[in-house]
Amino acid sequence: MKKFAQLAIPYIVWAALMLILPMALIAMYSFMEQGNSIVSFSLTLDHYVKFFTDPDFLVILWRSMLIAVKTTVICLLLGYPVAYFIARSDEKVQNILVLCITIPTWINMLVRTYAWIGLLSEGGLVYQILTFFGLKDVELLYTEGAVLLGMVYNFVPFMILQINTSLCKMDHSLLEAGADLGANPVQTFRRITLPLSVPGVINGITLVFLPAISSFFIPKLLGGGQYFLIGNLIENQFITVGEWNFGSAISMIMAVIMMLLMMAVKRVEDKNQGGKEE
Amino acid sequence: MKKKSRPIGKTLTILMIAFFYLPILYMMVFSFNEGKSLTVFTGFSLRWYKHMLESRDMMEALYTTFSIALLATAISTVTGTIAAIGLSKSRRIVRDLMKQVNNLPLMNPDIVTAIGFMLLFITFKVDKGYMTMLLAHVAFCIPYVILSVMPKIRSLDPNLADAAMDLGAKPFQAITKVIVPQIMPGVFSGALIAFTMSVDDFIISYFVTGNGVKNLSIMVYTMSKRVNPSINAVSTLVVVIITVALLLINVMPLVLEKQKKKAEMGKRNLLLPIVGAVCVAAVVFLVFGMKKEPSDLPYAGQTLRIYMPGEYVGEEIFPEFEAKTGAVVVVENFDSNEQMYIKVANGESYDILIPSDYMIQRLIQENYLQKLDPEKLTCMEDLQDAVKNQPYDALNKYSVSYFWGTVGIVYDKTKVSEEDLEKEGYSIFLDEKYRGDIYLYDSERDSFMMALKALGYSMNTENQEELDGAYDWLVQCVTTMKPEIVTDEIIDNMAQGRKALGLCYSGDATYIMSENEDMGFYMPLEGTNRWYDAMVIPANAQNTDLAHEFINFISSYDYAYANSAYVGYTSPNWEVMDVLSGVDGDYEGINAYLPRTDYELDEVFVYNAETRKIISNLWSRVKIAASNAK
Repeated sequence: MKKFAQLAIPYIVWAALMLILPMALIAMYSFMEQGNSIVSFSLTLDHYVKFFTDPDFLVILWRSMLIAVKTTVICLLLGYPVAYFIARSDEKVQNILVLCITIPTWINMLVRTYAWIGLLSEGGLVYQILTFFGLKDVELLYTEGAVLLGMVYNFVPFMILQINTSLCKMDHSLLEAGADLGANPVQTFRRITLPLSVPGVINGITLVFLPAISSFFIPKLLGGGQYFLIGNLIENQFITVGEWNFGSAISMIMAVIMMLLMMAVKRVEDKNQGGKEE
Repeated sequence: MKKKSRPIGKTLTILMIAFFYLPILYMMVFSFNEGKSLTVFTGFSLRWYKHMLESRDMMEALYTTFSIALLATAISTVTGTIAAIGLSKSRRIVRDLMKQVNNLPLMNPDIVTAIGFMLLFITFKVDKGYMTMLLAHVAFCIPYVILSVMPKIRSLDPNLADAAMDLGAKPFQAITKVIVPQIMPGVFSGALIAFTMSVDDFIISYFVTGNGVKNLSIMVYTMSKRVNPSINAVSTLVVVIITVALLLINVMPLVLEKQKKKAEMGKRNLLLPIVGAVCVAAVVFLVFGMKKEPSDLPYAGQTLRIYMPGEYVGEEIFPEFEAKTGAVVVVENFDSNEQMYIKVANGESYDILIPSDYMIQRLIQENYLQKLDPEKLTCMEDLQDAVKNQPYDALNKYSVSYFWGTVGIVYDKTKVSEEDLEKEGYSIFLDEKYRGDIYLYDSERDSFMMALKALGYSMNTENQEELDGAYDWLVQCVTTMKPEIVTDEIIDNMAQGRKALGLCYSGDATYIMSENEDMGFYMPLEGTNRWYDAMVIPANAQNTDLAHEFINFISSYDYAYANSAYVGYTSPNWEVMDVLSGVDGDYEGINAYLPRTDYELDEVFVYNAETRKIISNLWSRVKIAASNAK
């Protein structure tokens, strides 16, 4: 027994070095006054104060949260019916449909986002279709709508696949039992299917919200130079401005916000499972 | 269960799948487009595929993407599985703690994980490049493997290994012959997730790479500003590779199934050989990819590392330099001088940098450059006086000019009257007539130059009131005029006449005007920025001989001509400039190609640390204001 436990030791060392240490470094930088050396060690909260007292940064944070929420809601509204339809299809059709939805996620995200530039730019396919329907001079590329579209496009497969998995795991006899006991389809859905799919929905929400709030290439490619989200702000601090300590502080703020959200989600999940057992 | 037709679900599913594939198909179709446009299909052609195969950048990016994915998958699957087996037998407290640690990269936004890795490598002075990218990929892949292997181990009988050992198996045999075959589906799906994550990754690779190592994502990200249909060709190739891989993966479970049956019949387990074969294949692939031909040229086997702006060199320049010297050129690109400065200040080593005037001044001040060796420089007399003895390097001790030019207004002659331009100068950017029809350039210096000049100040002012005035001017522009703030996107968009006017570098204007006759270039009478981009050798360069060789090479007539003719920027070589702008030259009659040199209101940027910081902050405010005004 002991012998096998030793197999974990190399990984524990690796994890300490490659997973814990980087986070510790970010935390350290975020509390350090300036510079990149450990020698000039002086603690400060300035970077956090700077972020929270500047309305411009708060607006960016707010906008990022808002667009992540919008993306998640749209993905849920579009993804749930699709996942439901797939789960109710024949097994063969089901496999093909799941494969159809998985394949695009295998193709590089940047590549797929880049493809939208051509579609949305003036004279592109989407633009022409809208013009055909009489909409003139619409700006598509470099708008918030384009960013939202890019996010939904990239992340909705995660939502569909997660919900679909949990719907497929469901015990179908429950539905029949419900129907036998006189529930109409709407009631069956509300009282049985929906509650049982909650774990999938929660997983889906996590998998969409997390990348949506921190993405910086979708806003950059589809939103243009003047569309700033929190991810762009962090990238900017590290790549062009060179204020690594401030950038680290924003990263810490992001990490903490995400941790709190995850804890909240876990609460909901536990509650949901608790309810099931009663 | 009864089947019902579900028209709404069906329609939605079909639409959804169409939505997923539309961009992919669109991209594939346009990879065969004859023209450069991404919106108009002009005819079938394979030229972008040819271009792709000839582009070393693209082929290397493909190679990096897939070799890293294979290696990272192999390493993380093996180590992840071993770790999972070990953890399952560890004490509960260790296991729970490690579960939390394992969750770190899964629960953190990618950008946070990425920055953690970057800081780690920089703190421990690990040379960034292929190895750091691989390490980072392994690090974020292992948690996924553990996550998918763990439940399978849990579902095993905990006494299984003991039983095997009681029957005489050694611990190693107990694992490979008893445990691993049972958890194979988990290992397999873990490997699959690891591969997907690695191939798809952008953010983490972007922050941990260096030395010109790029994967596909980084390549697309850095090339996306200019229309480049070769990206479509590469993407199509990736779609094909992935489809083949998917087919293989769908066949693999069948193979494994068979193998399982064989194992049951008492035959040898094939798992280890398979994993081994994948590893060996990956290593062979790696070694093969790195093999370079031997040669007896003067600089054979040496490397020249250049750090320069993107899309700023003729296509054949580096290959020809390599053919002539036998050296390998490693190129890395930056978006802005500031980005370059950060890397250099953090100790990354290059042999040649190509920054702008004010940045050269800063690098000299802060001792990041070394003096050029006059004995080795044979090119100085080919260069025109206009590019010599400029304030940033008064005696030409540190730099040799690469391109030079001015900043001005590129405009559509059919939409904008010259009269307006002459009357209003830069203030045409506040003229409501052109609302929603203008581009600003996303550069703090040039935007503030425009605003300061429009207000009649010097662009090198240190006066806070004047800077605030310029800030207000820019905020008024972005809040009332609905400009688009772009960088290199302006080049293709103006060449297609998408907007009426924009602030633009003279060299880009030259290209735009040579593509579209309706376009003009105007240098306002309020004065403008006359700029110089020049080659310098950093203090920590590793191959200064080769660097001097390159400086002479690129300044010589033939290559300076090829470079300037391809990019459109003005050559410092006087003969090249004369020929290109002269009768029957490529840029005959294009005023943007000839910079204005004798106008007293034109200035060259001077570096001032204090002002730079103020302008940098104010410009990010302007952009936020623009973002909020939309």
